[in-house]
Amino acid sequence: MSAVIEADRLGKRYRRQWALSDCTLSIPAGHVVGLVGPNGAGKTTLLNLAVGLLAPDAGTIEVLGGIPAAGRAELSRVGFLAQDSPAYAGLSVADHLELGAHLNRGWDAGLARGRVERLDLDPRQKAGTLSGGQRAQLALTLAIAKRPELLILDEPVASLDPLARREFLQDLMEAAAEQELSVVLSSHLIADLERVCDYLIVLVGSRVRVAGPVEELLATHHRLSGPRRDPATLPDGLEVISASHTDVQTTLLARTSGPVLDPAWTVSQVGLEDLVLAYMSQGAGRRRRDNHHLEVQK
Amino acid sequence: MIWLTWRQFRAQAITAAAALAAFAILLAATGPHLASLYSTSKITSCHGLACQPAANAFFGQLAGLDTVVYLLGIGVILVAPAIIGIFWGAPLIARELETRTFNLAWTQGVTRAQWLAVKLALTGLAAMAVTEALSLIYSWWADPISKAIGVSNSGPQLFSQGQFSSVIFASHGITPLGYAAFAFALGTAAGALIRRALPAMAITLAIFAAVQLAMPLLVRPHLVSPSHTTTSIYASDLVYGSLTADVVPGHPSAWILSSQALNAAGETVTTIPAACDNANPSGEKGGTSAITPAQCMQSRGYREAISYVPTSRYWSLQWVETGIFLALALALAYFSVWRLGRRRI
Repeated sequence: MSAVIEADRLGKRYRRQWALSDCTLSIPAGHVVGLVGPNGAGKTTLLNLAVGLLAPDAGTIEVLGGIPAAGRAELSRVGFLAQDSPAYAGLSVADHLELGAHLNRGWDAGLARGRVERLDLDPRQKAGTLSGGQRAQLALTLAIAKRPELLILDEPVASLDPLARREFLQDLMEAAAEQELSVVLSSHLIADLERVCDYLIVLVGSRVRVAGPVEELLATHHRLSGPRRDPATLPDGLEVISASHTDVQTTLLARTSGPVLDPAWTVSQVGLEDLVLAYMSQGAGRRRRDNHHLEVQK
Repeated sequence: MIWLTWRQFRAQAITAAAALAAFAILLAATGPHLASLYSTSKITSCHGLACQPAANAFFGQLAGLDTVVYLLGIGVILVAPAIIGIFWGAPLIARELETRTFNLAWTQGVTRAQWLAVKLALTGLAAMAVTEALSLIYSWWADPISKAIGVSNSGPQLFSQGQFSSVIFASHGITPLGYAAFAFALGTAAGALIRRALPAMAITLAIFAAVQLAMPLLVRPHLVSPSHTTTSIYASDLVYGSLTADVVPGHPSAWILSSQALNAAGETVTTIPAACDNANPSGEKGGTSAITPAQCMQSRGYREAISYVPTSRYWSLQWVETGIFLALALALAYFSVWRLGRRRI
């Protein structure tokens, strides 16, 4: 399985503040990958580095085996949809398609026209007067019609209403399936990711907390509840992600390599949202410790 | 990329074309009248001393509108590069950053160096073309006045500015083209650096104005090697009681860079010798009963040393100055491309 994005100790600094540091990850091809994490985890910075809008200050990043945005060839293989899907307010929908046609060698005019018709966008309408959902659809049309191998979307639905969000994601799924695209999208809306992603990466404080196919993640994570006990006495092969205790009971969200046989535990399924939140709060704890560490270093 | 450049530049291009057309119409409407005044004046056939009164008579015939257009034209040509720098240059990159459309523009199948190079080249050429067109139309219109100024040593105040004077030099020939390229590249670079259109516009205006002031005062006098002559203090003096030369004898339109009076021993003098100071208190030159200070000094062996740029070097000065501004424009354009290539959005 080849990687569409391969980052090695990647770092990006704004003035003296590191927005992303020491980020190592590998995103496999052929998936719809959800990149999830709290605000400030470095998702947008990572994606901007992946499309070459930013250059790294530390480490390396390779996209489809090349340096992002190094030349026309690299640029034409990656489609990008930025946060809030910016568009030229004074240019019409048709102008935007024309823009795509002039700036991309592999432009699929038929595909673009077909999408605009199907989405019921008026070609003469100025992009500035489109609704947020329509603008996102227009931006997605531009990103898809350049016929990329990899489509990168940064919080594509964050500003859309629930209906527009559902339509957009539906449309994205169809396009990805039709064109056999690899897709990477970031979001903090786990419900949306659950609907479209088959691979998930949880990024907290520039670090990958967990990554893997959604099915596998769901199959290996469980909620265990039982009488209160010291976490140190847990059986082997059980990695505790989060634990909560009451006077009499302990509830764990744990990664298990095999079935849990201890009859003292009640094992139940865990949803993707709980799973992600468990990893995110675990990261938050670590991050606090990291910050403390930095304070000491100063 | 050419298509996108044109599509985004279209509205500005139409505005510029409309302004240029309005300017051309105004000048075309008033030009023939001016040309006929000149051709019927005595300037065309005058010789020597007769030219000054002929020129003055011509200036006297000019209507108020002619004067207004004469000054307005210079103003338009001097201001056009600044407007171009502010409204074409400064937003070129800054607006993309502000509206975040760079996300769209720089992730298409064109590198941002190409994106910027095409934009700089096309818009920059348009900037130069518009400004130079203004200047050429105006030079045609003002040609009779320029010629009249050329033959008169000192016209009325308004029409005393020869081809080397700051504003005339900067609004004729090829210099406007250089200023336009420079102002545009300056605006673009300011926008790339400051990343916000409005502050970039203000900075562009401030720097461009400062450069336009510094150029004639500090730089231009050093751009071509001057000629030197030591000549009659009387012939070079037009004003009572002045030790500086007002005109280079034999080179009526030359640009005087510096001049000083020398006594018979060849030493520099800074005051009029007492014996000559009150020679003619009325200041009237060439009176019969008395002599001017200059005549007095002349008779005592005083001379005037002048460093000047003759009219034969007018075009080399134009080329050198334009070349400097084009080089600055290229350097700023290169800086913008480099800045964008560093990928720190």
